[in-house]
Amino acid sequence: MNKQTTLVSEDEIHAYVDGVLAEHRRDEIDRLLETDHALATLVSDYFSLNSMLHDRFDRVLQEPLPQRLKMQDEVSANSAPGVAKVDAGRGPAANWTKFARFAAALVLGIGIGVGGMMSPPARDMMMSAGDSTPLRHVSLTKDEAFARQSAIAYVTYAPMVTRPVEVGADQEEELVKWLSSRLGTDVHAPVLTRVGFNLMGGRLLPGDEGPIAQFMYHDANGERITLNVSHRKVSSDVTAFKLYQDGSVNVFYWVDGDFGYAVSGAISRAQLLAVSHDVYEQLTARNGQGTRQ
Amino acid sequence: MDHAPRLRRYARALIRNQELADDLVQDTLERALRHTDKFQSGTDLRAWLFTIMHNVFANQARRADARAVHLSVDEDPLDESQFAVASRDTQSLEMRDLDYALQRLPVDQRQVVLLVGLEDMTYAEVALALEIPLGTVMSRLSRGRERLRALMAGKQDGVQLKVVR
Repeated sequence: MNKQTTLVSEDEIHAYVDGVLAEHRRDEIDRLLETDHALATLVSDYFSLNSMLHDRFDRVLQEPLPQRLKMQDEVSANSAPGVAKVDAGRGPAANWTKFARFAAALVLGIGIGVGGMMSPPARDMMMSAGDSTPLRHVSLTKDEAFARQSAIAYVTYAPMVTRPVEVGADQEEELVKWLSSRLGTDVHAPVLTRVGFNLMGGRLLPGDEGPIAQFMYHDANGERITLNVSHRKVSSDVTAFKLYQDGSVNVFYWVDGDFGYAVSGAISRAQLLAVSHDVYEQLTARNGQGTRQ
Repeated sequence: MDHAPRLRRYARALIRNQELADDLVQDTLERALRHTDKFQSGTDLRAWLFTIMHNVFANQARRADARAVHLSVDEDPLDESQFAVASRDTQSLEMRDLDYALQRLPVDQRQVVLLVGLEDMTYAEVALALEIPLGTVMSRLSRGRERLRALMAGKQDGVQLKVVR
């Protein structure tokens, strides 16, 4: 359209704006922009189109997902009295959960499973399990299933850049209130600064036994860990810490009265154990009355 | 992972009407779930989801045409509620112009402009997601951006941008 089109092709202008132009050409265009005002205006308009699109629509990322696209839906369906499973194809919520699991398997590439690798049949089971029932792992005990699920949730959410948590630590009070109401019991986010971790926030996850609260923490290096808390239907005595390992993810899990706990992270076992002890001490101090002998 | 919010953002920009946009995301996720076996492990999940979304969208648009249900903003009176809060600041005027201009773009150009400008996909990723050649991506991007720019400047098709002063 202008004289510069003989020097710079349209494709190059777009590639420049989108930051994919080879560096030497980028430099040449940079120099050209200093003298060619028409080109500079065009480029600047294209830049501002991109930024306007983000200004206008990025807010959608922050909006809470509507009920029908939300995985928490399944949780409410699941926790209804006597409802132990999600009906097949009953709307997107169940599907969404299934999808989250599917995606979790993809994050891992080959998937995680007992012993670190998941065999193809096991993966098929995981993919198809949601058709009629929530994910079942026949070979795992309930506690192991919880640990495994925590590992999956960890690899699903910990690497997220944009929204690793649903509610941030800046709204801790709201977070705790929300999670407590969904779990039907008081839950607390322990303070883990002593072992070097700060609360980032949390989210609610569906579990085989009802909703699970997930708190996420990070340390100064950006390393993330999660604490998952489940509210168990059947109370039991406190158990010892058990270790579950899936690839690079270690999970320490234990049961204390009505609660199941799982601390997951891709950090050393010693470090994760220290965190787990800290969690245990704080939560036992809080929940000490009543649930345990 | 976080694909649902991104699919939502893109759908909202593409169709604008929030209900219809969420329908599209929902249908996309459901379809993805029914066809997980078709996903090639190790390939780009996001591109795969966007491909599905475009197929779903194309089908919806076809059906909508037949039923004379409009996905276009032209028959969708300005959705005031969406802007009720933002309408006080001056930026919202520009945003409204943008919405309006976007809906004036032919849908194939709109898709490319949004995937590149909003979804930050590379041209190759767009070609993959839309299942079109790279050259087509470039020409749609070029035409789409130029048209959008002109629309935003209020000088094409005699379109009166709804700038209220």
